[in-house]
Amino acid sequence: MKISKRLYSYYMVWPALLIYSLFFVLPTIIGLFYSFTDWRLDRTELHFNGWTNFKTIFSDSTLLLALKNTVIFAVVTVIGKNVIGIALAVALNMKLKTRNGLRAIFYSPSILSIMVISIVFTPMLRSDGTINKLFEAVGLGSLSQAWLTDPAIVIFTIAAVSIWQTAGFQMAIYLAGLQSISKEYYEAATIDGAGSWKSFVNITLPLLLPAININVMLTLIGGLKVFSEVFVLTGGGPGNASQVVGTIILRSFGEGSWGLGTAVNTLLFVAVTIISIPLLMFMRRKEVTE
Amino acid sequence: MHRKTKQVSAAVLATALAVSLSACGSDSGSDSGAAEGSSPAGGKGGKVTIELAISKASQDSAFVNEELLKKFEDETNIHVNLQLLPSEQITTVLQTKLAVGETPDIVQYNLASAVTDLNLERNFEILDNEPWVGRVLNKDVLSANGHVYGFHVSQDTGMQGVVYNKDIFKELGLSIPKTYEEFLAVCEQIKAKGITPLFMPFKDQWATNIWVSAALADYADKNDPTLFNDLNANKKQWNEIPQLEAIIDQQYQLYKKGYTNADVLSDSYDMAVGKFLNKEVAMMFMGDWLIQDVETKDPNVHLGLFPIPYADNVKMGASPLGGQLFIPKQAKHMAEAKKFLEFLGSKDVAQQIVTEQKYVSNLSDVQTPELPEYKQEIVDNYITPKKTVITMEGYLQVDMSEMYRSFQDVYAGGKSPKEALDAWNVKFHQLMKDKGVAGF
Repeated sequence: MKISKRLYSYYMVWPALLIYSLFFVLPTIIGLFYSFTDWRLDRTELHFNGWTNFKTIFSDSTLLLALKNTVIFAVVTVIGKNVIGIALAVALNMKLKTRNGLRAIFYSPSILSIMVISIVFTPMLRSDGTINKLFEAVGLGSLSQAWLTDPAIVIFTIAAVSIWQTAGFQMAIYLAGLQSISKEYYEAATIDGAGSWKSFVNITLPLLLPAININVMLTLIGGLKVFSEVFVLTGGGPGNASQVVGTIILRSFGEGSWGLGTAVNTLLFVAVTIISIPLLMFMRRKEVTE
Repeated sequence: MHRKTKQVSAAVLATALAVSLSACGSDSGSDSGAAEGSSPAGGKGGKVTIELAISKASQDSAFVNEELLKKFEDETNIHVNLQLLPSEQITTVLQTKLAVGETPDIVQYNLASAVTDLNLERNFEILDNEPWVGRVLNKDVLSANGHVYGFHVSQDTGMQGVVYNKDIFKELGLSIPKTYEEFLAVCEQIKAKGITPLFMPFKDQWATNIWVSAALADYADKNDPTLFNDLNANKKQWNEIPQLEAIIDQQYQLYKKGYTNADVLSDSYDMAVGKFLNKEVAMMFMGDWLIQDVETKDPNVHLGLFPIPYADNVKMGASPLGGQLFIPKQAKHMAEAKKFLEFLGSKDVAQQIVTEQKYVSNLSDVQTPELPEYKQEIVDNYITPKKTVITMEGYLQVDMSEMYRSFQDVYAGGKSPKEALDAWNVKFHQLMKDKGVAGF
């Protein structure tokens, strides 16, 4: 009787839950099952093989390199996208004549397809490309690099392209956060003699925490799941120098090692969960309310 | 009321799950499959529709020419429906279709990849007893493990060697190099004229392998006939073949000596046609399909092909033939699919295809037409005197891209040829072991 008084019944959740279970939960559980099998293109029968797939992952140097690259990519992009995102948001929250135009410009790369970005960046990043020519023109020739073909720096190059693409999107979320901060705080701080840096650290940052949380989570999960940037810019090359977990999964399936591919996918799923849930809870606790 | 809603919801959920699960598990039921497959055939009485899966890149294939399909339909009342699959996904899509038993009736693919990607033996029908097989001149290009699996009217498998610009060679008074030393000298002379001697588009991993694949096949053919069998049986290791290391190093030295484009790992194969059209480059390790692509764009550019000059007197590398038609074992209309191959292989139809496509005929009663100059040279100098050897890929059973990646590592400055082969040997073992090959 109590329930019927409510506006919507609790059971309205069923359709959504059903679809979610069918197309996400169920496949994930099935995937978990397959990651403990020797499922392969050329096998008619499946056998459970215990932890074999996971042992393979941790004994294969390419897979370890891919894990390392994924972590590097995630860390670099989380820092880059958020620091640049906040900086842009703070700058474009000021009263500038060109404010709206600049906001649109910085946001625009994030609506471009990564394919388009790859076609634009690939020739620029060649060793005889625009970026190196620019360095040479201003006398910094020593900084020029084989951006996409030097195994030591290729993953950082891809991270930089990714930062360039989506920092504007992070900026948009930070701008929304900034606008919800009341001007009164800044006025009071100015009266108390705080400079702009002090008010940024003591007012802007704490009150921006909800936006920071959501952005860090988004960029972290996006970073760990990175695929398309690497796939279109280098295909994981040269050699395997820029392989990440996402491209390794594709490679495993291409080789017909479906069980192994599923195992890598499961590992990625577990890693994303283990890292993001505690981080989310930790950051939630730090949030303050006005 | 509360309880009732709960029960209903649970029932709905259970039904939905059951439906979805049973849909996933329909691979064994060939009956249900047949019912599905024949439904589009409905329409006119007695007409059967067969499904032919082909990659989008091959949609101009002579076998699926519209008039030809119409003629077949008029004669036999069998309609051929084309399933165009995205080229970059065709392998995955076909693997999935084969795994769940929703197979097309005919598939166009290439034989060597069908062995490594599609599990040829398990999934495809042996065609040894088809009527057209008796007239096939070169059964090898259609066979695996001693059985004919594929259908094609051409026996020209595409040759791999050094594509070179004849005009540049003529201008500079150069002749085809017969040894590695002569090849270096030719490169030096071309470079002196300000033309890049060699184009290496090694952003595409597979391109790193043309030199190695043809050279190793020739080496094995002459000096170590059991090499590939030994590798496949784990009696020999990839990193224990000094000659292979030398072959890899020979190609690397060409880059080191500055005979190539500067940024080999940034340049990709799709740039090759343009480079040849603009006469920016004189040579490239590639298949003769490149020559056709260039000469279609500009008939005034004259290209030719010579064998990989890693040693003296080398045979021309022959790629495993591509674009064959295969019939999956689980085809719903097996008889009709076989009839289609019979139709394509009949004398008149085959002659028409061979003439139009300028193929080297593989049927005893079908005449090879007049070929383009470069192709005729290859036929006269290499195919007819049997101076060809199937390239490395033709002998191996697993995906080779990891080997090509190791070769890229040599150019990225990270690895010596020996280290590249060490890495590949480990991967090869894993792939063979996963595949369940005896000895691994």
